Amino acid sequence: MRNPLIKRIPKELISDWHKYIVIIVFMVMMIGVISGMYVGHDSMLSSVYSNRDELDLEDGSFELNEKASQELLDDISTGDMADVRAYYISKGFEEADEKVAEAFGDLIDQEMYKDAVEEAYEEAHNEVVKTVDEEWEKISDRYNLDDEDFAPVPVTVYEHFYREEDEDYDLDGNTDANIRIYMSDSPVDRAVFNEGRCPETADEIAIDRMHADNVGVEIGDTIRVGDKSFTVVGLLSYVNYLTLHESNTDMMFDAFGFDVAMVTLEGFDSLSSRIHYSYAFEYVDSPEDKIEKADYSDRFLRSLITQTLVHDNEIEDYLPEYLRQASNFAVSDIEGDSAGSAILCYILIGVIAFIFAVTISNTIDRESTVIGTLRASGYSRAELVMHYMSMPFVVTVIGAVIGNILGYTAFKKIALNLYYNSYSLPSCGVVLSSTALIKTTLIPFLLMLCINLFVIIRKLRLSPLRFLRKDLASHKRKKAIRLPKWSFLRRFRIRILIQNLPNYLILIFGVIFIELMLCFAFGIPDSLDHYKDKAVEMMFADHQYMLMGSEDEDGNVITTSEETAERFSAVSLLYPKKRSSFRVGMGSGGDEGVTVYGIARDSSYISLGNDEDGVYISSAFSNKFSLKAGDAITLNEEYENKSYELKVSGIVDYDGGIAVFMNIDKFNETFDKDEDDFTGFFSRNEITDIDEQYIAREITPEDVTKVSNQLEHSVGGAMDVFKYALIVMTAALIYLLAKIIIEKNENSISMVKILGFENGEIAKLYIAPTAIVVTLFALISFVIGYYLMVWVFHAFILQMDGYLGFWMSRGSMILSVLYLLIGYAFVSVIDFIRIRKIPMDIALKNVD
Amino acid sequence: MKENFLEIKDLKKSFGSGEARQDVLRGMDFTVAKGEFCVLLGPSGSGKSTLLNIIGGIDTPDSGYVSINGDKLEDMNEHQLTLYRRKHLGYVFQMYNLIPNLNVKENIEVGAYLSDKPLDVEEVITTLGLQDHKYKYPNQLSGGQQQRVSIGRAVVKNPDILMCDEPTGALDYKTSKEILSLIEDCNKKYGSTIIMVTHNEAIRYMADHVIKLRDGVVRHNDINDSKIPASELEW
Repeated sequence: MRNPLIKRIPKELISDWHKYIVIIVFMVMMIGVISGMYVGHDSMLSSVYSNRDELDLEDGSFELNEKASQELLDDISTGDMADVRAYYISKGFEEADEKVAEAFGDLIDQEMYKDAVEEAYEEAHNEVVKTVDEEWEKISDRYNLDDEDFAPVPVTVYEHFYREEDEDYDLDGNTDANIRIYMSDSPVDRAVFNEGRCPETADEIAIDRMHADNVGVEIGDTIRVGDKSFTVVGLLSYVNYLTLHESNTDMMFDAFGFDVAMVTLEGFDSLSSRIHYSYAFEYVDSPEDKIEKADYSDRFLRSLITQTLVHDNEIEDYLPEYLRQASNFAVSDIEGDSAGSAILCYILIGVIAFIFAVTISNTIDRESTVIGTLRASGYSRAELVMHYMSMPFVVTVIGAVIGNILGYTAFKKIALNLYYNSYSLPSCGVVLSSTALIKTTLIPFLLMLCINLFVIIRKLRLSPLRFLRKDLASHKRKKAIRLPKWSFLRRFRIRILIQNLPNYLILIFGVIFIELMLCFAFGIPDSLDHYKDKAVEMMFADHQYMLMGSEDEDGNVITTSEETAERFSAVSLLYPKKRSSFRVGMGSGGDEGVTVYGIARDSSYISLGNDEDGVYISSAFSNKFSLKAGDAITLNEEYENKSYELKVSGIVDYDGGIAVFMNIDKFNETFDKDEDDFTGFFSRNEITDIDEQYIAREITPEDVTKVSNQLEHSVGGAMDVFKYALIVMTAALIYLLAKIIIEKNENSISMVKILGFENGEIAKLYIAPTAIVVTLFALISFVIGYYLMVWVFHAFILQMDGYLGFWMSRGSMILSVLYLLIGYAFVSVIDFIRIRKIPMDIALKNVD
Repeated sequence: MKENFLEIKDLKKSFGSGEARQDVLRGMDFTVAKGEFCVLLGPSGSGKSTLLNIIGGIDTPDSGYVSINGDKLEDMNEHQLTLYRRKHLGYVFQMYNLIPNLNVKENIEVGAYLSDKPLDVEEVITTLGLQDHKYKYPNQLSGGQQQRVSIGRAVVKNPDILMCDEPTGALDYKTSKEILSLIEDCNKKYGSTIIMVTHNEAIRYMADHVIKLRDGVVRHNDINDSKIPASELEW
């Protein structure tokens, strides 16, 4: 015979359908959205990974100052280090020989001076060897060039030249973006075409799909690149530009202000800006994992440095692919998205499970004598545990099934669109995701069952006799609390409040969680807006120019007649992050890029304190890593085994980046720079008298805001959906929490009805205490929720590069509290209707 | 002479400690034969409900023992006690304790499910006169009807012992007599041993065996040779 108690389940579901609908919708939403995210992300990752092979993603790239000779490329390909010492000695000998020859003049060929000349040569050569040896000792140590265990890393090198031009996509004569143009015949780092085709004539161009989407360029449109017009014939996605990171040190990609493009060879030649001699390389033997990639990269770099040096060329840039933001950011961001949302899902499911458990716990209280009778009749504890577990089980199954169906269909599309809105990704098919099934079905399922099982087992551990006697309290109240001589109704209300204290504690817990959700919903868009608003203030100066070098072609120091111009120096270093986060990878867990500025004394742009020994850090740096004056920080060179220990003397109010400031003298001393050395100018007015070829870039307010612009564009649409979903969930949560209290008091409410209390009076007795608790704790919970959110946001931003502080406007703060109260006001009305519907016979038929 | 089925030996039970200690059972001895209708009579506080709970295995004595068919309850662990209740006992309480969202038939099935040898549910419903109400929910029934369902839930198990704790305590005279008649019928028809706790002196006349308790001890232990049917009881 089938256990007849099973028949209660559908009846219970139907009789209390509104409660279960709320819970099921909650679960469907959570499981569906997260499942969709996982399916979307797995599908996307699978497509990205397969493209890496198909489109020949580089293992790294480097840029040289001049076009590399075939000999240099051949030597680089061997992966072996060049003999720098021999090179310096030979170069030194040449110079020494010239000087000796110069000193002797015509006398050098005369027989009588033969011995003297030879002696001079020998002496000069000895001096060269001595000097080179001394220098060699220093640099070999620095670059680890004497490593006896060094094994060469052979590579295949490909030319991957590009030009950078101004892009004017709306043909209004103004520069709208910076565009990086590659040739269409590149054997590495190729692209897929989301739309259109490859350029075939000199005036055709294919541009990044994401950029085109963002700025509204379509196939067939004409754009101006430099001083030339091109017709857009294709929208593409380069395998090495899944995100449009202009520079690897950019905190965020910028699909508005930066673009990558493909033109024909003729088209490339028709452009006038300088060619960047960039080379991509692939290892002959592929490294297996990240550690091996780092080791390969490190060894190859040593080869590159030495080979370039002995071939009289210079490295402008070096970037192994595994550290490349543009090809790794999207991947790690997609992974991070899912991890973050899954955690949010678990928290929400945990809260729902907890509310469910409380509801069941109340049902057990209410059915105490029935349980006692069943136990006395021979039902085992396990059978009753199973019985009370079946409801959360059934609800979770329904939620998981519907959630998964939606996850693989509607929500998957939303997730993919979210990615397409952010990244230059290739199109992809659906991949069945086992992780999605485990993380969105199995874990919530276990969470729901474990929490409920724990509560139900605890609740049912009492003896049948105690159930029969309704003696369920774990500790008995010894004495009634004495109350002052207030009015009867007031005392009655206080008694109800005291009696329901455990339920109110649950309500308060729920309200804190609700406030956390509201802070999330309002705070994230606020933080982005706030950052954007403050961006202009964050600029050191209205104009900030970074120069290619401090001297012009003729070796003269670059100067300007602009009166407000002020020199500054800057270097980029790395601050080691604590790697305790769940996300690891460049752009999400690697070292933090820090810009170190050398500032003129009495600078009119940045005012530093008087401490000469220490350095000043930006408030963003201080806030992100909780650094304060007196702390010591260690900054490392990116490509050198060199570290700098610095003492923090103070904080500069600058949220625009992770930066360190020191006076120019200390800067020059620390980084071993010449007194005249500098990197660029701060200026109030535009500088017009420096040739553009010497200006590497000008930093504008848009450079600072591109972080928030892009974040806003990527998550903006989803954020609105999320905001409203959270608000609906807020109302649903209050509904469930308030319902628990009314359900718990059904018997008493029925009894006071019998005694003759009117519905209004009953509402005052049973709704007013809840209203007081909600109102009182709305504010307190907001404060707790706010600080929890600050903590959560900080933990999140720690995974990223750069800094964005959590910020909420006063209006949003008020709204967060107000939404809760408005939500509760609606629920109160429902509560009142519920109270009116409680029949009087409940009390009569349950009295014993 | 009937065979002893239930044996109570020197049973003691107290609640509280120190000055608040209250000896509810102070050494109780008696036996009940199989198929007997035994009434435990006594005023409030005489220990009759505590005694019933101990016999039912839902409470434990401080000393002494209860033996059913030679098996001592004190030797049983929790699981065995649950099995004992499941296989041998049926319970009827003063309050009916029906499951509110199961109808009459389903509430009776709750009992039937527990038994290896359940009676036919429909037959029990007919015996209890509930055929017109079998699809009603408890809140659609009168107190007497609910108690019938509660008896049905206990009887359908075909238990060796039917434990009744003040089954008519919440019912009027007429309904009480109907319920007592039903219990009497069950005793006759199914041969269950009945142990009924009551403070109603009149019920003693329908019993085979009357045990009067006071202050935690057995004051009288009488076999009633001239019992009368429940329908003829007056009080």
